[in-house]
Amino acid sequence: MNQEMQGPLLPQRPVTILIAALGGEGGGMFADWLVAAAMDCDYPVQSTSIPGVSQRTGATTYYVEIYPAPAAQLDGRMPVMALTPTAGAIDVVAASELIEAGRALQNAYLDADRTTLVASTHRVYAVAEKVTPGDGRADSEKVLAAVRAGARHAVLFDMAQVARKNGSMINAVLFGALAGSGALPLPRDACEQAIRNAGKGAEASLRGFAAGYQHAEHAGGNEEIATPASQAVRDVVPVARVHLKFPVETHAVLDAGVARLTDYQDTAYATLYLDRMEPILALDREAGGAAGGYKLTRETGRQLALWMTFEDLIRVADLKTRKTRFERVRKEVGAGPDDMVVVTEYLKPGLDEFCSILPPRAAQRLRQWAEKHGKEESLSTALHVKTSSLFGFLLLRGLSCLRPWRRHTSRYHAEQALIGRWLGAIKRLGFAVQDVELALEIAECARLVKGYGDTHHNGVAQFERIFDTIIESGTESDPKKLREAISRARSAALANPDAAPAPQNSMSADPGKKMFWAPRASAGKTAEKTAGEPACGSAPVSR
Amino acid sequence: MLGEDYGEGASIIQERSHAIAMKSQIWLLDPRPNLTSIVDMVEKGFQLSEASNTPVMLELRIRACHVHGSFECKDNRAPKFSRKNHLKQPVFNFGVIPLPPSIYAQEKHKVEARLPAAVKFVREQHLNELFEGANREVGIVLQGGLYNTVIRALQEVGLADAFGVSPIPLYVLNVTYPLVPEELTRFCSSKRAVLVVEEGQPAFIEEAINAILRRADMNDTFIIGKEVLPVAGEYTGEAVLQGIAQFLQLSVPDGVDHWQVAQARDSMGSRKKKVGDLLNEPIPPRPPGFCVGCPERPVFSALKLLQKDTGKIHISADIGCHTFSTLAPFSMGSTVVGYGLGLASSAGVAPMFDQRVVSIMGDGGFWHQGVTTGIANAVFRNDDSVLVIMKNGYSSATGAQQIPSTATGGAPGPAEIDMQAVLLAIGVKWLRTVRSYDVGDMLVTLREALDTPQKGLKIIIADGECQLERQRRVRAEAAKKLALMQPTVRTRFGIDEDMCTGDRSCIRLSGCPSLTLKENPDPLRDDPVTTVNDSCVGCGTCGEVAHAATLCPSFYKAEIKQNASRFDRLLDRTRRAIIGSLQGKSARGTS
Repeated sequence: MNQEMQGPLLPQRPVTILIAALGGEGGGMFADWLVAAAMDCDYPVQSTSIPGVSQRTGATTYYVEIYPAPAAQLDGRMPVMALTPTAGAIDVVAASELIEAGRALQNAYLDADRTTLVASTHRVYAVAEKVTPGDGRADSEKVLAAVRAGARHAVLFDMAQVARKNGSMINAVLFGALAGSGALPLPRDACEQAIRNAGKGAEASLRGFAAGYQHAEHAGGNEEIATPASQAVRDVVPVARVHLKFPVETHAVLDAGVARLTDYQDTAYATLYLDRMEPILALDREAGGAAGGYKLTRETGRQLALWMTFEDLIRVADLKTRKTRFERVRKEVGAGPDDMVVVTEYLKPGLDEFCSILPPRAAQRLRQWAEKHGKEESLSTALHVKTSSLFGFLLLRGLSCLRPWRRHTSRYHAEQALIGRWLGAIKRLGFAVQDVELALEIAECARLVKGYGDTHHNGVAQFERIFDTIIESGTESDPKKLREAISRARSAALANPDAAPAPQNSMSADPGKKMFWAPRASAGKTAEKTAGEPACGSAPVSR
Repeated sequence: MLGEDYGEGASIIQERSHAIAMKSQIWLLDPRPNLTSIVDMVEKGFQLSEASNTPVMLELRIRACHVHGSFECKDNRAPKFSRKNHLKQPVFNFGVIPLPPSIYAQEKHKVEARLPAAVKFVREQHLNELFEGANREVGIVLQGGLYNTVIRALQEVGLADAFGVSPIPLYVLNVTYPLVPEELTRFCSSKRAVLVVEEGQPAFIEEAINAILRRADMNDTFIIGKEVLPVAGEYTGEAVLQGIAQFLQLSVPDGVDHWQVAQARDSMGSRKKKVGDLLNEPIPPRPPGFCVGCPERPVFSALKLLQKDTGKIHISADIGCHTFSTLAPFSMGSTVVGYGLGLASSAGVAPMFDQRVVSIMGDGGFWHQGVTTGIANAVFRNDDSVLVIMKNGYSSATGAQQIPSTATGGAPGPAEIDMQAVLLAIGVKWLRTVRSYDVGDMLVTLREALDTPQKGLKIIIADGECQLERQRRVRAEAAKKLALMQPTVRTRFGIDEDMCTGDRSCIRLSGCPSLTLKENPDPLRDDPVTTVNDSCVGCGTCGEVAHAATLCPSFYKAEIKQNASRFDRLLDRTRRAIIGSLQGKSARGTS
């Protein structure tokens, strides 16, 4: 080949573009647009992807290379374009979601001297984040800071929101932002023409593209819309007593607590709440909690308010039939003002629920009868209640009217007893050792008791086990060790939510499958067993 | 034509074609992965096949199968025979029948005539490509499919331009079996060191080159391959760059900017380290999973619930979308052997368990071979086992191709074959069909299958159409109806945010992508709440699971009726007015 033919005007290498997306988000369409736009400019272009089922709902990538010189000027020569992205040789990473941008960084595809990152900052949670009880989400702020630091130039904004606003798919916004970032060797016209030629939904996509383009261009790439949505601050009714007796740091929580309890039951119940909180505050003060902003009072106040408003049949019936709830449902499902909405509730009350609204004695008798006749399971009935119909509405509304009766129910008695045990331990141990941290650790145990049905059952069992074997057993007197033991047990219980507590003190999580090719423990036994045999490499050691 | 996948692309690493090619004496083409080369090699491959009287395989790596590029076409030529231009005479030649003594004659013919003919054709037609370079000391021998990756690596160390012109000589094997010894000895002669870039293991090519040189008594050329390149796994851009840089550092040829080579290797290391510093924690993995509304998910929800009572059951999984059961949140399936082999592969292990084992099979796998290797065999042997057949109507995992039991709805074309009739004809005595979304029914049926004293094979057909296919149809129909102002009903599910306590049991039992998290609107709760997002198609699994597992009362189903009749709307308005007035009376109703 004639070396001189490649004049100094021809680019040294293709522009390499890695698209990181989730299966089903239109990443393939995006790659096709890029190809079409490049072809429109007569630029040599190549795209590849990973096919089929391997990308279904999971993370996937598309890879495009564009050689930014018209083919007509190349005398029939074609540049060599790679099929796989090479770390360090990527010019642009376009990610449709924040964690996917993080994944591109993790795979070392971002180069601080070379790569422009165009990414949406919204989150689509992975299964691993969602299955954890409580909050298993990755830290978005950290990932955001990391990808920004890892790229040469970053254009980051919430493209899902922009897409929603413009009625387009996110891929069009991403394409627009990429074009607007200046990292693409293609003029805007060619990009828009590519969208137009693709047909289907072109109008919406063009709107999305324009919005994305504008964001990237005007924001200089550093505007951020995505924020972990700020918590809606509800109007909470201040109660004089809170403001009179409690320090200002705790007002927000306690006001919310009082409002919640009044809404749940009545003013007297809210008074009981504050009665219970006063000794906690006293402990907090005595142990020097003021320096920490009365964290013990705040945390206990929060947990106590949630616990005292336990979700019984009456509460569920009440929440399900509220006017605000009806409005929320219509909004959530996107119903227009003239649309009819039939709402069906999936309820399955069983023996526990029936017992929960009976007085303790009667509940006990019913339970004994059910056990004797083997009716524990058969009493539970799967109900489909239409709260949008008069009958269904009245049924639940009627149930919610049992509220004044709640103080006589067995569930109420059981919960109050458990709350008493919990608060008692906080106060007793807290005052005894003057250790706010220990008291906090015990307060946190209330997290275990929540949910409905089996979840609630298991939670209570876990809670009681920790109290029986650690907190109230008196076997550990060193506050630090005790604190650690409680924390360990609680974390283990939270990490293994579907299991009833193990009979032994070991609450270790399921060790998972052993793989046969993994070396069998370093235990001496194995060594003894195989000592007489020649080393057998990767052959599985038989047991 | 075959696809190979050495890495991340599909569910299974293949890497077996080379061994099969050598043992079966089938020639193996591995063209450079640009469309012109691929198309040329298809044409040459047919000619090679004719010239050597042997079948030829053309190997494409997974990304090459999905490449978008361009090539120049040639004019079509009419085939010698076709559906229109019929064959007139059948051919009989005992010499090609695999029976002795023909088979021995063929074996001899393979090595004495066909193999030399193939090597001759490859050599004379220049199927392998030699790219000369100025450097005389070193060279690279590579599989054709890796050409672009190798060029990218050379570009990164400043040893190739955008068009692939490099001072390092390259010998590109567009035919990886058989090799041409003369070409290899000529390429290697007078070179100090040659790098062999060969994906897959064992390293057949590298070993063959060593043998060829030894036979030619050429002992001065170092052959380097797996010492600097990964023994197994995909040869990604990074792996090849690393290998080539290390090769250059070892062989130190003249005319190479060694500083740039070292720089390329170092920056890879430092980038990795920097990433580690920036991201303290690993990014959560996101493997593929069941789609929103998938009819297979609820079956595994039922199996998960079942095992709460029975303890762990041996589940013999199969190939298909349902292999996703092996991932979170289900994590079930002890073995996956092959397409349609779920039941067959459980036959050996089933008698060793004190509880019946459960096998999974898709309807694709059923028709592929499961009906004979699995079901007919189990009935014949009277195996005591449970089989769940996922009847979703398509071979979904590979792109929803039609299969014999695809519902045709009376449309013209091939008629649907009734699976149930087939099973009864085979002699299956215990057969139930359950709508796959009815988690409660499925649970009861599974329990019955495990507990019944009846011996023999027990089959449950989980009936639910592939949701991807269903949505394609249903969405189009709904859009048409809406445009004509006809009544339509759209169903979706929701979660009452004030009732969700965030224990995520629902996600652990279903894992539907539409079940996700959002910030808790309650100021007293800090954990996020579970929510159903707009991708929900209203399959109902989450509600059914909530019922079957007695989870929580937060789930609701909303049916949104558009363009309802005037009477219905009047009724609805009245109902809403009454309910509204009842809500209004209570102070709490509006709180």
